[in-house]
Amino acid sequence: MAETTEEELRVLAAKAGLDTLPAEYRAELLSAYRHLEGMLARICRDRPQGDEPAHVFVASTFAREG
Amino acid sequence: MAEFLTIAEAAKRIAAKQLSPVELLQDCLARIDAVDGKLNSFVTLTRERALGEAKAAEAAIMAGQYRGALHGIPYNLKDIFETKGIRTTGQSRTLSDYVPAEDCDAQAKLAAAGGVLVGKAATWEFAHGGPSWDVLFPPCRNPWDLDKDPAGSSSGSGASIAAGMVLGTMGSDTGGSIRGPANANGIAGLKPTYGRVSRRGVLPNCFTHDHAGPLAWTVEDLAILMNIVAGFDPRDPGSVDLPVPDYTAGIGDGVKGLTIGVPYRWIEEEAPASAVTRAALDAALSTFEAMGATIRPVELPTLRSYEDAKKVIAMAELYTIHGPEMRKNPEKFGASLRYRIIAGSVIRAEDYIQAMRMRTELARAMQTAFKDVDLMVLPAGEPAKTLEPQPPESLFTKIGYTTAFNVGGNPALAMCMGFSPDGMPLGLQIAGRLWDETTVLRAGHAYERATPWRDRRPALVA
Repeated sequence: MAETTEEELRVLAAKAGLDTLPAEYRAELLSAYRHLEGMLARICRDRPQGDEPAHVFVASTFAREG
Repeated sequence: MAEFLTIAEAAKRIAAKQLSPVELLQDCLARIDAVDGKLNSFVTLTRERALGEAKAAEAAIMAGQYRGALHGIPYNLKDIFETKGIRTTGQSRTLSDYVPAEDCDAQAKLAAAGGVLVGKAATWEFAHGGPSWDVLFPPCRNPWDLDKDPAGSSSGSGASIAAGMVLGTMGSDTGGSIRGPANANGIAGLKPTYGRVSRRGVLPNCFTHDHAGPLAWTVEDLAILMNIVAGFDPRDPGSVDLPVPDYTAGIGDGVKGLTIGVPYRWIEEEAPASAVTRAALDAALSTFEAMGATIRPVELPTLRSYEDAKKVIAMAELYTIHGPEMRKNPEKFGASLRYRIIAGSVIRAEDYIQAMRMRTELARAMQTAFKDVDLMVLPAGEPAKTLEPQPPESLFTKIGYTTAFNVGGNPALAMCMGFSPDGMPLGLQIAGRLWDETTVLRAGHAYERATPWRDRRPALVA
């Protein structure tokens, strides 16, 4: 997976509503992302299409909601 | 100072009208007044309210209306547990004036059982980033050595139990936040099965991994607290409607015939335990063997894989929770938490869902491993280190022994397994099958009875 550039990261953060982050916090984002992308790269993505995520909607959870 | 009592010991005396709840509270308040200025384990002290509750408990008991083992017992709550009419801050400047209108489920149950709420305990900011010196309150310190870290995020809960300032408390555990402080402070702490104890009214950290659970001086006291706080809550979407056992019944049945698995690859190869921790673990395993348990190795996926899946999920959920405030007032967050929230802003939906699919696989692997063993035993962590700011990126680099059981949802207990040469507690972890807190507590109680570790308190209060 190619390393995400600083400009790409700025666009991603802007899409999350952080387009006005002060410069010092943008530096924190860059630092954090350099560690995060290693973790993202290790997340297995090659799965059968039917593999469900750990938390799916369970209707019975809400049947007795008070 | 007055003698130290466990919940079980105090309850017996209170029920027999040999101990006044007011006197018990006053002993706790005297310890708080004497040492908490050094420890910072309380962020809010509810002295007058507690005195009122203790007097009411005493009057009720004298009138023959004893409610059970928590009646008249002083406790506190991590300051992410919402308390009606009492400020609940999450240690964050973003909630410095927040006074909830309703009690969380745990507080409602503990109050109904007649407990005496002494106050709110220090945490890391929103139970996540820390230790921090740039949030609403200073960080809590370790009563065994004030220069050492009490660990987090249930820091104040752990320190206040070890120092005998309260007899019970509730914390939360998303990756080890009950078990870490139990390890560092030499006490007992239980992360129950996901869904066993309601999190309604507990400020969220990571919805899919947050657990609420008790901390106390002994394992038996955890069982007493579990009898009060466990149970289905239809207002917690993660709560599960299953029968709740009596956790104190059979707690003395021992470990004879149980099979204990040890994930040697984790503690020898992937995250090698220190020599002192390994020696204490080996001694603990010998103790279990001597009591009739069988020890065998157990194989699991890597610690790193559990950490990766959990942290990607956790940071995405963290941004979901704190994004609105971060967009408006980023300067209100401490640097440690802010670093993690900001990172969560750029995790894409596919990343999050792929991590959740990976969690399915990892949780299944955990339950498969438990088909061959009744329990797993391993260290809870390493002895407490110096209390000092941690580089924010340590979140990504460190690997611990606790997170895998949050991913699996399994119950896991941390308790004292001795002391390092410099007098700091060492922590044992006992994990069990889903919903089987009973066997976990039974094993912990047996180990506690077979070892002398409950005879020692921090010199600060001894």
